[in-house]
Amino acid sequence: MRICLIGFGAVGQGVVKAISLKKRDIKNKFNMDLKVVGVSDSSGSAINPGGLDEDLLLDIKSKTSKVSNYPKYGNSAIQGIGLLDNIDYDCLIEATPTNIETGEPAKSLTLKAFKDKKDVVTSNKGHLALFYNEIINKSKENNVKFKFEASVGGAMPIINFSKKTLASSKIESIIGILNGTTNFILSRMTSEGSSYKNTLEESQVLGIAETDPSQDVEGIDAACKTVILANSILGIDCVYDDIEIKGISNITSEAIELAKKEGYLIKLIAEVSKDNLKVAPRLVKKNSPYAVEGTLNMATLKTDLADDVTVIGKGAGSLETASAILTDLINIGKLKN
Amino acid sequence: MRVDLILELLDIPGQLVNILSPISGFGANLVTVIHRRDDKNDDGMIPVQITLEGEQESLIQCIDKLKEMKVTILEINGVVSKEKIRTILIGHVIDTDIRNTLDRINKLKEAFIVNLEIKLSDENESSAMLVIETDYGMKDIVFSKIQEIANEKSLLVVNEV
Repeated sequence: MRICLIGFGAVGQGVVKAISLKKRDIKNKFNMDLKVVGVSDSSGSAINPGGLDEDLLLDIKSKTSKVSNYPKYGNSAIQGIGLLDNIDYDCLIEATPTNIETGEPAKSLTLKAFKDKKDVVTSNKGHLALFYNEIINKSKENNVKFKFEASVGGAMPIINFSKKTLASSKIESIIGILNGTTNFILSRMTSEGSSYKNTLEESQVLGIAETDPSQDVEGIDAACKTVILANSILGIDCVYDDIEIKGISNITSEAIELAKKEGYLIKLIAEVSKDNLKVAPRLVKKNSPYAVEGTLNMATLKTDLADDVTVIGKGAGSLETASAILTDLINIGKLKN
Repeated sequence: MRVDLILELLDIPGQLVNILSPISGFGANLVTVIHRRDDKNDDGMIPVQITLEGEQESLIQCIDKLKEMKVTILEINGVVSKEKIRTILIGHVIDTDIRNTLDRINKLKEAFIVNLEIKLSDENESSAMLVIETDYGMKDIVFSKIQEIANEKSLLVVNEV
């Protein structure tokens, strides 16, 4: 399978690292040859129809920050969507940053790949949260595969898990923690008794929260994931604007103390059901499945046959998110074989 | 006939006698008493399972009297009847007329505030934990009404899942 990767930040580099680590196993187990033929970042691209060296790609990016410095095959004139016209590939891995205003460049890249009859795997949320149905319909029209497990919960299995492992059950609702940064902040506020402001600053120093943390702390990131789960698992036709969103920036250490005294924790909870599409800070019982700490994500799926099923996993991280992308790639490869 | 009740009582001597004395005149016999001390909560309350035997009318009178005395009946014959739900309000909880907020919640047919604790933080803002006793199955309705009140007063609500 010839792979074109657009977006070479933390997730993109994780994908290349994961391919480097796993390609022999994947060849042995699934008889699938994964070959990275093109990579693009904001500096340009590296293109080699015979396959780029994964370790060299990572080395060049880490040393120079520019993939266009890749020896012999680096190219500063071609990047982003332009790469798709300059390379023959089978599957696009779209790992550009999430844009919740326009969904770009993810939307254009994805639709262009579909039009060219290419499969797409993404970790992006913005275009899905804004244009879920349009994008899914286009993938169907073009008869291509489109997978986005990594867009929700990073390494935590949920979309494929619901559709395949829980295929016998109807999923009635999903309640979970879909944002690792806010879970880290609230967990620290609980264990240390610290204020929101101080804990946010600490999270920024640790690299867990972004310099502009609003997507995480205001619930925007979790709301995007709520849209994706609502559409893909519960079949609820909704977009980002349909989600009721409240973030954690007004949570006080006093509120956390009061909750603790009653045997509760405060978590940023996403609720996905026919009656409720919302992200808000909620009280959860200590020792309940919702009481996961640190940057972990979790989700409890309420089903008709299997009752409650809970999944927990790392919601972010370069290699962790890449694991979900690689699984999607393998699943597409299996369907093609 | 018999009825099994699970009551919630403070785990101190004399509590059960206090609530049984007023119903002793209704002609029902107390058959069993089990104090579930392992399930004691942070407020020192424990579930006490009692079985009463008597005519249907006597048993109904006993239950009505317990309700009148504001005794929390958690279960009647295995059917959960009451639950405690929790919510935190954050913001200008006091300045937005806390008495009015509490009264409006208590006026809901399904809800009764059994505990309130407030902590003050900066700039006159405060956080208030409300423990509300409600009929089983009414949680969502009570929470949505609290949300309405909070929206009106620009308070952040942190409801129990």
